[in-house]
Amino acid sequence: MLETGLILRALARNKVGALLIALQIALTMTIMVNAIFMIQDRQQQMQRDSGLDEANTFYLTNTVFAQDYNIQAHLQTDLHTIRNTPGVIDAVQINAIPLSSSGWSMALQHESGEDKDAIGSAIYMVDEHAINSMGLELIAGSNFSQADIELRKDGQSTWPAKTIITKAFAENLYPDDWQSAIGKTVYISQTQPMQIIGVIKALQAPWNGWDGVERSMLVPFQRESKGSYYFIRTEAGRRDELMPIIEKVLAESDKQRIIRRVTTVEDTRLRSYRQHNATNKILSTVIITLTLITGFGIVGLAIFSINRRTKQIGTRRALGATKGQIMRYFMMENFIISAFGNMIGCLGAVALNMWLVHTFSLSPISFELIAFGVVTLFIVGQLAVLYPARKAAMIAPATATRTM
Amino acid sequence: MFSYYLRLAWISILRHWGLSLLMVCAIGLGIGAAMTTVTVNYLMSADPIPEKSQQLYYVQLDSWDVNDPFDDGLNPPDQLTFTDSSNLMRAKKAFRQNVQAQAFGVIEPNDPEMLPLIVNGRANSADFFPMFNVPFIYGSGWSNESDESKEFVVVLSKETNDKLFGGENSVGKAIKLEGNMFRVVGVIDTWQPKPRFYDISTGAFNDSEDIFVPFHLIADEKISRSGNTNCWKPSGDGFKAFLASECIWTQFWVELKTEQDKADYQQFLNAYVQEQKQFGRFQRPLDNRLSNVMQWLESQEVVADDAQMMMAMSFMFLIVCLLNTVGLLLAKFLGKAPEIGLRQALGASKSTLFSQYIIESACIGILGGVLGLILAYLGLKGVEGLYGDYMKGLASLDANMAIFAVLLALISTILAGLYPTWRACNIQPAQQLKNQ
Amino acid sequence: MLVMKNINKIFQTADIQTHALRDFCLQVNEGDFVSVTGPSGSGKTTFLNIAGLLETYSNGEFLLDGEDVGKLNDNGRSRMRNQKIGFIFQGFNLIPDLNLYDNVDVPLRYRGFNGKERKRRIEENLERVGLASRMKHLPSQLSGGQQQRVAIARALATDPRFLLADEPTGNLDSEMAQSVMSLLEDINQQGTTIIMVTHDAQLAQRAKRTIQVKDGRVSELAIVTPHLNQAIA
Repeated sequence: MLETGLILRALARNKVGALLIALQIALTMTIMVNAIFMIQDRQQQMQRDSGLDEANTFYLTNTVFAQDYNIQAHLQTDLHTIRNTPGVIDAVQINAIPLSSSGWSMALQHESGEDKDAIGSAIYMVDEHAINSMGLELIAGSNFSQADIELRKDGQSTWPAKTIITKAFAENLYPDDWQSAIGKTVYISQTQPMQIIGVIKALQAPWNGWDGVERSMLVPFQRESKGSYYFIRTEAGRRDELMPIIEKVLAESDKQRIIRRVTTVEDTRLRSYRQHNATNKILSTVIITLTLITGFGIVGLAIFSINRRTKQIGTRRALGATKGQIMRYFMMENFIISAFGNMIGCLGAVALNMWLVHTFSLSPISFELIAFGVVTLFIVGQLAVLYPARKAAMIAPATATRTM
Repeated sequence: MFSYYLRLAWISILRHWGLSLLMVCAIGLGIGAAMTTVTVNYLMSADPIPEKSQQLYYVQLDSWDVNDPFDDGLNPPDQLTFTDSSNLMRAKKAFRQNVQAQAFGVIEPNDPEMLPLIVNGRANSADFFPMFNVPFIYGSGWSNESDESKEFVVVLSKETNDKLFGGENSVGKAIKLEGNMFRVVGVIDTWQPKPRFYDISTGAFNDSEDIFVPFHLIADEKISRSGNTNCWKPSGDGFKAFLASECIWTQFWVELKTEQDKADYQQFLNAYVQEQKQFGRFQRPLDNRLSNVMQWLESQEVVADDAQMMMAMSFMFLIVCLLNTVGLLLAKFLGKAPEIGLRQALGASKSTLFSQYIIESACIGILGGVLGLILAYLGLKGVEGLYGDYMKGLASLDANMAIFAVLLALISTILAGLYPTWRACNIQPAQQLKNQ
Repeated sequence: MLVMKNINKIFQTADIQTHALRDFCLQVNEGDFVSVTGPSGSGKTTFLNIAGLLETYSNGEFLLDGEDVGKLNDNGRSRMRNQKIGFIFQGFNLIPDLNLYDNVDVPLRYRGFNGKERKRRIEENLERVGLASRMKHLPSQLSGGQQQRVAIARALATDPRFLLADEPTGNLDSEMAQSVMSLLEDINQQGTTIIMVTHDAQLAQRAKRTIQVKDGRVSELAIVTPHLNQAIA
């Protein structure tokens, strides 16, 4: 039995109440869809592959404070010590840590010269142990050889002749065929040639908010600098046990420097995405509370409108309506209101998204998400009205003969 | 009459306690959410130095690449080259001027038992301290003469002084920093401007520094610089070449007392750039800016996108909660139609009915506001816990915010109550009584 | 035909038992017009509720049109109300949000008639009570007597065997009461069995048969002679 017409006419006489619920649903929809969208956006960012063997790697900072200190000799001793510690797979000196939010960047260009287009990339200065130490995957070309590694002094402006870049960077440089990057010469610092000898699958830059976060390059440098990182990879499951051991060995071997910030890559990831995680949790709380408020609002209003219509419902029962028909009436009424609210909500969601796209340069929302929002709110509405509708169905038909 | 209405409101709230609870919760949640985000935004965009934020100006000069503008041409570079800041410093055309950069170093304590200490530092000019009203416990900043004669002087933070000297007056004592002996001239009291307006290039909400040393030490390679460096043109080999390069890594602040001083300084900057153009530098069109503290914070978008987005959302959330309340109040007041009819029959005028129901709305609003305050307090605790250091000091309610919360709740609930009250007042008494 | 044998209705609250009907026996034949009177609290509303299948009884036997009411479940009783019984209430019980047309439509919807049939019945019955011209009006735009006429139209729209009227003139002034009463007599003339609860002795006299309920039991007072009845009509 279709009562839609009757319900619509009854609703039309009580516009404000219905409109209030519809508006609530619409706003809930607007906020929910956009909040979910933002959560998904952040989650996608967080799920990007860093390229590292995150579970089994850690790093520490080495800060030399002594004057007249043979940095180069100590570096070789340190690396030798770490690499030969049982349980360590490999270790490397590096100038920056992926996702740590501080690092170096330079730009590469196809042609030499001052006003040529260049693409920025993160710079990691490492030796031939980098791929093994960081757990990277070389997918084309070759690794550095020991002979490629140059010594770099602070303030030096010349660059080595070879580099290994990430696949994403290769795709940016050679959009037609990233594999063609191997053997090509590119220019760093506007005029210095560099040959691409290898491509690694992935390695993220230090800055997670940068749109070029997938673009990184390895440069065969060992730095003669008072401050540097050692990046260490251990056998599976032995990281936590080795961290204090290596810290102690290094600290005790040489008192003229400070070993600090012994940190796992996993912690760095957590810290890097802490704001993302926090924002996501807050947004989730917003969605849940909002849905609850709207749900309870529907329950409250439905109970009230049913209380007000007790006699009417009793009369309907007296006139032959079954319990099911009474229930269906209220479910249908809610469905119609929800449909109206959802319609406005879709427009609202798109409008808010447009504003977000404009103000915060987010990307546009997907159709599936809006569909999800619509379905969810229909379900919430129907669930919310279930209890009041059951209450309505329980109203005794004899209510009709009672004088109130 | 007012107390009578209050009593009626209270009876009514208790009688429909479920519905009242729902409304109070809805308003409380809405206010709580709104207040949490408003507080974060309010603290992020607070004036960190209200007494003179109008007189402190950050200097920007467009020294960038003629082919490829900085920030897509929207803003000139956010820092200055060493060359330019040194020139401006030497010119001394402002009431006070300060060149600065971030630095770091290792302190070797006098006590050989103590481990060396890595400290975050600021390399700055003598004017830094009076310019930014830095509070001192002991001593003071160094003088311009100390800068000129390149003395090795240092100002310690309270925390560093506690670590190195157990909190005693250390003025006149020496510390070994990066292998050199420095004389302590002052100890700063707890000083944590939020945002850390004097240097937002490395994080607007970072802690202030452990030590402060003269800027010239960087050029003399007595202390290492850190912070952001941005170059558009390769520099030559070595540190001297770096200092002479077009890389930007210094920040320059001036204190100008009047609008006239500001205009004069602007003129001076333009003249300076014109002069530099003769050496082949500054090939872009003239774009030199003087931004006061708040203008500077705004142009650097110190208030995080997330915070603004959340505030927008939380206000929509509040609107949902208010719509909820309008609906529930409407249901409640219309449910009282017979009572309203009776009251009218007994002589209540529309205005007395209006007062009665508006007061009932306001009561719910105040209850909601109080709940909202509690929720905002918890919400801010949660925000602080979730965001960690980033939100430290940005998540606390002050009296202003508390009053604002209750007022917001009160006003929004009264607004929400207007329509239902109006409907209730327009109920026809005759009809209600007939159907009794 | 309506047959009640030894119907008992006991209301059970925490520790008090109230006997609303005691061994209530009554037979109402096809085409009858029975008025039920009694002081308030005598059980006449309970009788009407049970007769109209609005309430269940505690024990006894109740046959409506040959069907054992005791064996019906809730849905069965709804169906029976819809098909065989028409109600007229003291408070009219029109649905305020719906216009006259839609109000009369309510039971027809539950009956499941198609649109054409519903339209025919609505128009025919509103015509019958003289309100065909005001189909689009809301109940609040009508006088009490007119509202009760709509309620009667609604009751008749399903062609019920029985019309149960609960103080149908209780909320009306005497002039309107007279016209509603005449309408009921017309309807009875056309073959619908009417059971009317009232406390107005004068109105009760206009029924063919009057019974009195006292302490939950029936006591038949008088059988109104047909000629008198006709004289009034």
